Amino acid sequence: MKQNARVKQQKFTIGMKKKLVVLFVIVLLAFVGLGVRLILITKNNGEEYEKQVLSQQQYDSVTIPFRRGEIKDSNGTVLAYSEKVYNVILDAKLLLRSDKYVDPTVNALVKYFKLDGGEIRNYLSEHPTSQYYTLAKKLEYDQVAPFQDLMTPGTDTYDENIQGIWFEDNYIRKYPNGTLACDVIGFTTGDNIGTYGLEEYYNDTLSGTLGREYGYLDDDSTLERTTIPATDGDSIVTTIDGNLQTIVEKYIKQYNDEHANNARQGNGANNIGCIMMNVNNGDILAMASYPNYDPNNPRDTSKLIGMPMVDAKGKLVPGESDFDSGVYITQEMLDGFSDEETYRQLNALWKNYCISDTYEPGSVSKPFTTATGLETGAITGNEHYNCNGSLEIGDWKIHCHNTYGDGDVSVERAIEISCNVALMHEAQAIGKEKFTKFQKQFGFGLKTNIDLAGEARTENIVKKPEEMTPTDLATNAFGQNFDCDMIEMITAFSSLINGGYYYEPHMVKKIVSSSGSTIKNIEPRVLRQTISPSTSEKIIQYCNKVVAGDEGTGKTARPAGYMIGGKTGTAQTLPRGNRQYVVSFMGYAPADHPEIAIYVVVDRPNVALQDDAKNATWIVKRVLTEALPYLNYQMTEEINEKEQAELDEIRANMVTPTQPAGEGEAAEGEEATGENTEGEKAEGTSEEGKAGEKKEDAEKQKKDKKEEKEDDTNIWESFDVDETTGYYIDPNTGNLVNPENGNEMGGDDLPDFTGAPTAEASEGKSSE
Amino acid sequence: MNRIRALRKPKEESYIDYSLIFIILFLLAFGLVMVYSTSSYEANLDLGDSSYYFRHQLVSTVIGLAAMLIVSYIPYRFIAKFAFPIYVAAAVLILLVIPFGKRINGAKRWIFIMGMSVQPAEVAKFAVIVFSAVLIIKLRKNLLTPRGYLTALAFPTLYSLLVYGITKNLSSAIIIMGITVVMLFISTPGYKKYIIAALSLVAVVAVAVIIIVNADHSSGMNYRFERVLAWIDPNAHASGKGFQTLQALYAIGSGGIFGKGLGESMQKMGFIPEAQNDMIFSVICEELGLFGAIAVMLMFLLLIWRLMIIANNSPDMLGALLVIGVMGHISIQVILNIAVVTNTIPNTGITLPFISYGGSAVIIQLAEVGLALNVARNIGR
Repeated sequence: MKQNARVKQQKFTIGMKKKLVVLFVIVLLAFVGLGVRLILITKNNGEEYEKQVLSQQQYDSVTIPFRRGEIKDSNGTVLAYSEKVYNVILDAKLLLRSDKYVDPTVNALVKYFKLDGGEIRNYLSEHPTSQYYTLAKKLEYDQVAPFQDLMTPGTDTYDENIQGIWFEDNYIRKYPNGTLACDVIGFTTGDNIGTYGLEEYYNDTLSGTLGREYGYLDDDSTLERTTIPATDGDSIVTTIDGNLQTIVEKYIKQYNDEHANNARQGNGANNIGCIMMNVNNGDILAMASYPNYDPNNPRDTSKLIGMPMVDAKGKLVPGESDFDSGVYITQEMLDGFSDEETYRQLNALWKNYCISDTYEPGSVSKPFTTATGLETGAITGNEHYNCNGSLEIGDWKIHCHNTYGDGDVSVERAIEISCNVALMHEAQAIGKEKFTKFQKQFGFGLKTNIDLAGEARTENIVKKPEEMTPTDLATNAFGQNFDCDMIEMITAFSSLINGGYYYEPHMVKKIVSSSGSTIKNIEPRVLRQTISPSTSEKIIQYCNKVVAGDEGTGKTARPAGYMIGGKTGTAQTLPRGNRQYVVSFMGYAPADHPEIAIYVVVDRPNVALQDDAKNATWIVKRVLTEALPYLNYQMTEEINEKEQAELDEIRANMVTPTQPAGEGEAAEGEEATGENTEGEKAEGTSEEGKAGEKKEDAEKQKKDKKEEKEDDTNIWESFDVDETTGYYIDPNTGNLVNPENGNEMGGDDLPDFTGAPTAEASEGKSSE
Repeated sequence: MNRIRALRKPKEESYIDYSLIFIILFLLAFGLVMVYSTSSYEANLDLGDSSYYFRHQLVSTVIGLAAMLIVSYIPYRFIAKFAFPIYVAAAVLILLVIPFGKRINGAKRWIFIMGMSVQPAEVAKFAVIVFSAVLIIKLRKNLLTPRGYLTALAFPTLYSLLVYGITKNLSSAIIIMGITVVMLFISTPGYKKYIIAALSLVAVVAVAVIIIVNADHSSGMNYRFERVLAWIDPNAHASGKGFQTLQALYAIGSGGIFGKGLGESMQKMGFIPEAQNDMIFSVICEELGLFGAIAVMLMFLLLIWRLMIIANNSPDMLGALLVIGVMGHISIQVILNIAVVTNTIPNTGITLPFISYGGSAVIIQLAEVGLALNVARNIGR
């Protein structure tokens, strides 16, 4: 008690109170100091530390794939689309939370996905903490749906012991039409990157943005997810008409099949290309080449068989003799190829012949020379030249197709019969400055900027004026000694026949978002005026003669019932005298008012005698026979019996779903008669009458002409006939002579300037 | 207002410091939220129960509140009578660690009493407050003699040595000594000797640090010294002793001014070891930013200020000393904790009062607050 009282007495003095306040101030200062330190850490190191924090995070995150945009043809038919598929992912950590999950889950996996249960168990025991392991890839919805039911509460088959499995979305690219338009479309690699064609050119448009899913384990150990959704890619609508494309590819294929393993082992030709174009807006309606491939399985090497082999630079491997068109791939060779060699061949297969390969165009460029002459005023169109079979220019004697001479040749007839000598005269009149200026104007040596990946660069394979010799000028006049590619040629030709408007060729007319709204319409673009409309009219007139004229080289290209115009080409290749030709036909329809252009190139056809444009016209004729009715062009010409028989044969193989115009006409006629309306009937008859009159006139004119030329037989027609080929044999040289145009086989002696200025040309050439 | 009213009617109503109670309840509630926030991810991964730490802390908090209430109703003069038995009992508890101690995280600091883990070092902190207060009162004038002063220091020093010797818990030993020094500082006049002592301590520490830093790496660096090196350059010891400190700094730095939001910490996901424990303040910084951190510090400052007010108004020296002991304890622990988290001092395991996870700690701290409330009840009597 005493002690207690003493304790009670003791007071907390003022001095102590002061010291207590001092203590508080010290504490306060300490707090302030620490507060300042906190602020300094945040201010000075905040950003650095924040990055550090983010960098050391190991998110349990996955990317969400986007759906790549579709590629459609102009009618809306899907050419390429992406389909959702599922990957089966195993989360071992989640599964191993309890032993009771393991057996049901593994058994279900084995049952539904035919997986190896032992392997899964092995994996689980070796990687118990793994959270991401792909068990199966690219399964379709039907395959995963039953398993998903097992995992979804509420379904009949729900099993709560199925744990640690989830499905990852993915997309695979599908090309529902197989090989259709493969060269135009290209294909995609596994990681959704486009290669070749539209897939490559429009890769950024077609690609969307990857989404991301951040995952973490929530209170119930289930994976909680925060999702940034993926943005799907935009779709593109091409100018390609799937039906035209099908027609074109059918006949290219047919040509190939009929000529494969003919004169040599291998495909029907080294390359066959065909482009159809709307001359009035630059729309590419069809573009195909052979050999083709299936973009669903682009690495299928069976497509390589029959192709000419290429070396490491993509150059054609030369055959043993100069006369061989190449070394053709066989199954045995394929088996012997290294991966690299195979890949090299595949690259040659994947590229689009129509835009990537350059060659000497040959006579199809004659209309350009004539147009240049007319446009520059160097010729008037009324000139007459004398062709005696060759012309001496420089040290060279340059031959005409008809080595025996065409005699008197007008500007028009020069195109019709494809007279080299006349064209050389024209070029000489034009001069190299104007000639090269117009070459550039027509786009030779320039890229067309078509919206496809892999367009060839032709800048260095066209002569510049300062390096152009008189021989160059002369040979360029008929399309030799300079190179071009198909798209360049047809684009330029379109401008010749549409009044002189050079349209940029294009493949895509519309870009559409994944929700279906139009993002961009691609309008036709006129780049320049190449020639005047009056020159254009004259060129059309001349080119019509090629098909309509009696001596016309392109008569065989005319589809029954229609009149078309165009120009043939039979180009020699390097080295000269190798009897290797690139034959072509470039035409348009209708003849009087061109709307559609078509260009077919057959690179070294698989026939004994390659210098025959009929290899190309055969395809053109069949394509147009089927395509023109599809495009709703009415027949304008009379059909004779022979043509009718041929037409029936072609029609039997037609694929076009729409009614051909011929049938449509017939149907119309029936309707008219069925309705018995007098007025209509009268109209019909009057039209018939008019048409009849016209035809009569035409026939009369033809007859007149024939009579005139009755005695005008060709020299070579007096020669002996070679029984196997139907060619005449020149008694002097023993060479075969083409009965159509008098071209002498083996008579190829065009200057090739090997080593000199065509070094670039030969390089471009060999890229075929 | 309450106080004024209480002073007017001193005989009828006992003074209750509601501000203090509010601050404590706020800190406890905030602490529980933060414990849940920091521990749920790891608890779920390690124990399969995200609320494991939260529930344990909740139970401890409830027990602590009960202890606070009980202690606040037992007159402190009565408690003071049992100062010596309390001192002995705490010492015995520490000694019991030797045979019965449970090793957690490599340190033997806990014993189990009736299924509950108790950290004797925490009990010792309470005991030293009560015992030192009583001892200072008893020594009275003798305190001014060196012999008396040393006597007052001797008993707590014994505790410190026991705590450090047996549980290897340096921080608790420092806190025990710190509480005693604070109490002696208040109860003896003059600043000179304290300033000298503080300066010489700083000098000794500085010299020691310089020696450690310049020492050869191979010359038997022990556990304690590597911490010192990690403190000076945490990046160089990022994979060792500096890891926790560095991760705490990342957390503070990445929080910015307003933080990532409650529950949004990334660092708590396995990067800051024992995030709910010593390093909880860094997660507060990360989630609530500088704003939240400074708010918490202000809360503690308010608490310390309230304790100072109570001490200054206490009816007698004993009550004042008890409250000063509590105030010293909380101040030292808060300052040291935040200093560790901000890498101002080397890393030692000090928890943040009322907020960090720790059953014994929160119960003892609440009992101490009960002691302060007890003293406050007697204001004006």
